[in-house]
Amino acid sequence: MEKNESQFSGGRRYKNKDITVYWKPSACIHASYCYRELLEVFDPSKRPWVDMEGSTTDRIIEVVNLCPTEALAWKWNDETKNDSVGSDQLNHINFRRPELMNTDENDSNNEPVSVKIMPDGPIVLKGSFTISYNGNKKEVRDSMVSICRCGVSDHMPFCDGQHRKAGFIG
Amino acid sequence: MEENNEKKSKVIVEVIEFGPLKITGNFLIKDLQRNTEDSSGEVRLCRCGKSGNKPYCDESCKK
Repeated sequence: MEKNESQFSGGRRYKNKDITVYWKPSACIHASYCYRELLEVFDPSKRPWVDMEGSTTDRIIEVVNLCPTEALAWKWNDETKNDSVGSDQLNHINFRRPELMNTDENDSNNEPVSVKIMPDGPIVLKGSFTISYNGNKKEVRDSMVSICRCGVSDHMPFCDGQHRKAGFIG
Repeated sequence: MEENNEKKSKVIVEVIEFGPLKITGNFLIKDLQRNTEDSSGEVRLCRCGKSGNKPYCDESCKK
């Protein structure tokens, strides 16, 4: 199944085919417009609590626009449409959280991935990248992965700390 | 979806089976053991522990 929930710095985002909804928990003041208006989409008792298939795109936009804080914001997935949204779209990220227009996919791309060779230890990768191993392919977003460099890990290709026991030097 | 994500990620990390870790794209390697840096855009790092040119692979894994 396609995963419609993902993380960004400061919160989570949820996607349907038309739009992405951003949720920033630290900004929420529990005014509760979202779940009183549209429990089919915003249900705090469920995980994930936002179900983007629970209603129509128009209705989701309408309810996100009711949020009195910047806890909920939205944007079109088709970037060209974001340039011309009207100011009546109160919680479009152009108005609510313009910084998100950059922090998303764009920013994490500009930031070089940090690769640290630890003394007598693993390779520590930090940032956003695609990793393939044992026939899997995964998207890593703003996160860390430790790769074995000594050759004795039981969890290849990842480090499991055995380099110390093995007396790895390098 | 999968395809989109691939385009967005500029850095590709490939764990080559019985071989090195290949990294391509916009990365910065800091070798804290040898105090060197590398942002050449493509590297192969040793994963077997046997390379004579650490942190890089020198194909000792193939022997």
